[in-house]
Amino acid sequence: MTAALQRVWGAYVRITARWPAIASVVPFIPLVVMWWAVVEAGVFPRVFLPGPADVVRSFADLVYKGILPDYLHDSMVRLAVGAFWGIALGIPLGILIGMSQLAHRALWPLLLFFQAIGDIAWLPILVIWFGYGLATMTFVIVYTVIFPVVLNTVLGVRSIPINMHRAALSLGASRLRILWEVVLPGALPNIVTGLRNGLGYGWRALIAAEIIVGTSGIGFLMFDARRAGSVVEILLGMIILGILWYIVDSWILAPIERATGQRWGLVTR
Amino acid sequence: MRLMHQLSSALLFVAPFGVLIALWAVLVPYFNVNPRLFPHLTAVIQAAVEGTCDGSLVGHIGASLLRVVVGTVLALIAAIPLGIAMGVSPVVSGFLTPPLRFLSVLAGIAWIPIATLWFGYGFGAITFIIFNAVFFIVTYNTLLGVSTIPLAVRNAAASLGAGRWSMLTEVLLPGALPNVVTGIRTGLGFAWRGLIAAEMIATNAGLGYMLFVARDFYRTEVIVLGMIVIGVLWLIIDRLVLAPLERATIERWGMVQPA
Repeated sequence: MTAALQRVWGAYVRITARWPAIASVVPFIPLVVMWWAVVEAGVFPRVFLPGPADVVRSFADLVYKGILPDYLHDSMVRLAVGAFWGIALGIPLGILIGMSQLAHRALWPLLLFFQAIGDIAWLPILVIWFGYGLATMTFVIVYTVIFPVVLNTVLGVRSIPINMHRAALSLGASRLRILWEVVLPGALPNIVTGLRNGLGYGWRALIAAEIIVGTSGIGFLMFDARRAGSVVEILLGMIILGILWYIVDSWILAPIERATGQRWGLVTR
Repeated sequence: MRLMHQLSSALLFVAPFGVLIALWAVLVPYFNVNPRLFPHLTAVIQAAVEGTCDGSLVGHIGASLLRVVVGTVLALIAAIPLGIAMGVSPVVSGFLTPPLRFLSVLAGIAWIPIATLWFGYGFGAITFIIFNAVFFIVTYNTLLGVSTIPLAVRNAAASLGAGRWSMLTEVLLPGALPNVVTGIRTGLGFAWRGLIAAEMIATNAGLGYMLFVARDFYRTEVIVLGMIVIGVLWLIIDRLVLAPLERATIERWGMVQPA
């Protein structure tokens, strides 16, 4: 028994060493099997906890009707638009606060406070201002993304050794060139980390916004299903959310973070 | 001298807020902003005084904080032992990392629809959401913390004759503690947001509920008051409780690399 298990495990380790992607899929198999077993055993009524097969069926159904692709597209567009503005506003603001003592004094306390208010608390007043629509969602996501980006950019700018500035200055670099060739590359690893955190929060904010004020999107799908009492579609929505973020985070953002860290990171030694 | 320095830096920190509040007090009446869009400063102060006097504001704050505390404590009791148990074996922790990351992504807000369906509207659903937000992130971080303890340290303790219990209390727990505390801080951040969102949907008390009801009546002064209270409360929790706790743990138990 143990020998057979060991052989299986050995094969698994060898395969995952060659194709690491498999290691991030296989561990879900026991999870799904457990879920299936609990449902089959009838511990909970089926209406409360549907099985994996039901969820797959509802997935196929929603894709066939075209609802799921549409909602997915809506959510992704909102996230992309929000992330774009968050970055476009956050990085310059972060560099300003990082480089100017005056701006730091004036804005830093306000930043901390407004970050603490949190995106979701803005929803009620945003609905009054902009109504139920893209403007509200974009505002919420920009608001969420911008703080981690600004805070990390400031951290990055301030962690550049002062001697780097001095060296560039004494070699005759203009202010613009210092910005472009010292400050920006020096702060880049932190900026990317901030972006990754910010998108993590922005993603959750999007879901909350779609649940509370939404008219489409994955969050809305889940809340609509809740109104109809359909647990299958709620579970489907949760699984899609998890998979999407898993893909975005570990296949896109984490590699970018690693690459910038290797290319521009200040190796202190 | 030191006191003077601290006082002046505190003043410098507060000064931008003074400017902001002054701008608010001057600009809103000057441009004659419709109070349905943005409230006057005096209206917000009045709402704060009213809420404190009739006890409704205090009641909402109490309801929100109670939920956070109950959910967090339950989650910690479950998460830390589980995280340590799974982190002890590198094989198990490597295998379980992807599902845990998957679940910690879902933590918080994404559970709202199903929580309200399973537990109904009320205390149960909201506690469940907070529990989830904290539980998965803390479990994941504990597991990470235990698996980053150098094997040499564990071997050293074992060869010095440490039993299971002293291994747990003197090697595994202290070694994982910095990660655990970081996990608690992140988890609570998500839990706080999840709480506000859940209260908007699923109860009849709490700060989120206060905001959402005020929106129905276009009472912007209550909304702005609620936002300020939420911000100040989180600043207090994060800056005065969690951040010092994190710093202290890392200084005391963190693996300090010799520079």
